Amino acid sequence: MIRKYLLPVLAVLGLGFAVLTVISGSKTIPPALPFVDPAAPPFKSSVAGTGIVEANTENIAIGTLVPGVVSGIYISVGSKVKTGDPLFKLDDRDLMAQLTIRRAALHVSNTTVKVAKASLSDVKNQLALAESITDKRAISVEELDRRRYAVQIAKAKLAQAKADVVSAMAQIRETETNLDRIVVRAPVDGKVLQLKIHPGEFAPAGIIQTPLILLGNVEPLNVRVDVDENDAWRVRTGAPAVAFLRGNKEIKTDLKFVRFEPYIVPKKSLTGDSIERVDTRVLQVIYSIAQTDLPIFAGQQMDVYIEAPDQLQKSSAISQIEQAKQTGQSHE
Amino acid sequence: MNFIALKMLIGDRAKYLGIIMGLMFASLLITQQSAIFLGLMTRTFGFLTDTTLPDIWVMDPKVQYIDDLKPLKETEVLRVRSVEGVAWAVPMYKGLLKARLPNGTFQTCNVVGLDDETLIGGPPQMLQGQLSDLRRSDAIIVDSFSVKDRLARVMPDGRREPLKIGDTMELNDHRAVVVGVCKVTRTFQSQPVIYTTYSRATIFAPRERKLMTFVLVKAKPGQDTHILCHRIRQVTGLAAYTRDEFKKLTVRYFMKYTGIPINFGVTVVLGFIVGVAIAGQTFYNFTLDNIRYFGTLKAMGASDVTLLRMILLQAAMVGSIGYGLGVGAASVFGTLSGSTELSFRFPWQLLSASATAVTLICAASAVLSMWKVIRLEPAIVFKS
Repeated sequence: MIRKYLLPVLAVLGLGFAVLTVISGSKTIPPALPFVDPAAPPFKSSVAGTGIVEANTENIAIGTLVPGVVSGIYISVGSKVKTGDPLFKLDDRDLMAQLTIRRAALHVSNTTVKVAKASLSDVKNQLALAESITDKRAISVEELDRRRYAVQIAKAKLAQAKADVVSAMAQIRETETNLDRIVVRAPVDGKVLQLKIHPGEFAPAGIIQTPLILLGNVEPLNVRVDVDENDAWRVRTGAPAVAFLRGNKEIKTDLKFVRFEPYIVPKKSLTGDSIERVDTRVLQVIYSIAQTDLPIFAGQQMDVYIEAPDQLQKSSAISQIEQAKQTGQSHE
Repeated sequence: MNFIALKMLIGDRAKYLGIIMGLMFASLLITQQSAIFLGLMTRTFGFLTDTTLPDIWVMDPKVQYIDDLKPLKETEVLRVRSVEGVAWAVPMYKGLLKARLPNGTFQTCNVVGLDDETLIGGPPQMLQGQLSDLRRSDAIIVDSFSVKDRLARVMPDGRREPLKIGDTMELNDHRAVVVGVCKVTRTFQSQPVIYTTYSRATIFAPRERKLMTFVLVKAKPGQDTHILCHRIRQVTGLAAYTRDEFKKLTVRYFMKYTGIPINFGVTVVLGFIVGVAIAGQTFYNFTLDNIRYFGTLKAMGASDVTLLRMILLQAAMVGSIGYGLGVGAASVFGTLSGSTELSFRFPWQLLSASATAVTLICAASAVLSMWKVIRLEPAIVFKS
């Protein structure tokens, strides 16, 4: 009896196990959910770009006219400055010493003027004395001439001494100007975005990789949007745009068109590498961030969508697919 | 009558077992070999099986299959994002990089770089750690198979110490720290899979002008993906495939350019022939042996139709038992090999395909026997 049913039972069990294997093998893998949801374009048709937040004055890399060691800093990172406010000062001991010397020289010149005035008075007095003598025999013509020339010489010397004073004063002013030049001042109203110089450090003149101080007006912030040159033609002047903060698509802001950068530049690779690797060129569009109460910082990246006309008219192939779909649906 | 037919069948135990064995092996061979073949083909797009979130994959138009890496310019992601109907588009890096293991050996790894912000395209299942741990510096996530195997640390006494969270390794001369272990579908080349962020992957990768391998696209709700694919192709000049299209493309490449389908096809055909030869021949012999009884029945007045029904019943009986045992054995084999390197995939289509094959074998055998019985003279009983 058992022998009779053994094989059929085994067969049924085998089939059952096969069906189980099929069912367990056909499970679909659930998708890995994104860590944060990416932003979706808010317009029907738009151009996407990567934006980098910057100050509305652009980020100004402050330089110094003369190289030197920094002796004092008047600001801290994040402090607000007005046009003309001092930012930092270079070591001024040599110029101060020069100023003392030049002030002393002015003093000397002033004294020389006094001496010259005195000697002019002296020779004038002597000339007047000689001229007041009515008896011509009492004084020779030669002597009289000598005294006259002495007055002229003394006058000239006085003039020279006065010129020396002017010169000395000019030299003092030069030193004072130099002293003023080693104090670096804010060229615009703004905020200190970066402070990379400290007392005791050497500030070189000229263009350097890391600016000494990065300054800019951040009210309001601007966004510099890179648009691929292939899509550049679609961006219209004044087109509305929306920017999404990376990491949280809920933080978004409307943008106000400011201007185009009229010159198309090579895209900067943001891989952190110093060497350029991508040969694409991008159109840069400057937009202004309308909202000010958002946690957005200069230098941050944003995903920007600019409203733009559609790339292409509906091509024949697409409408064919759509037609096929529609007829398929109507058949159902 | 049916009872007599079954009695006739089971009565001759040796032949009965012979037929069933023949059918069982035929069905086992066909099912198991096809399952391994399907498993291999599924592995070719194992990465696509895992990455189910994006609707559309955008790549270089010359790409022939998933591991055919032809990177794009990074601004292409912006262009794809600008296409109407795209909800989002994120970059993905995929490449083979050399990993240097702590014991000094090298291992080529499949490195996947996910979009820094969203980490889209990540592994479907994390066994240890979190996907978000990729935000840490030098972080990588390694798949669970290679943690124990290829990337394991070999101790001086020959033991293999699995890679664990916090261990470091070198990827192309850069430091990398394991922050998680994930489960992935095995791939055809079965290299270790390492997940990291896109920008870190570009640092790991050798210096190249173009680095972005794919753009992953999600269509806006209600947007037809085929139309969107077409639009992306038209606007950007790149290739855009839905996930299923990309799978098909990959499978087609392997079917066309590798010998795999021919190898397995030959085995499956052999299984079928063996089934026909053994089972068919045994069944025919069995009918010949029992021809006296059929003759007797015919002489007693049984119609041809009745006799044919009997033979069909016998064929169906051995067929279903052989089939059940065969697919059962194949499933047991598949389950036992589930945790090894062997690929095994058993969809319902295969179950019905092997049923069809067994039915064909049985039908062929039955037709031979029926022919014999129909031409049978009842007088044969009284001969000899």
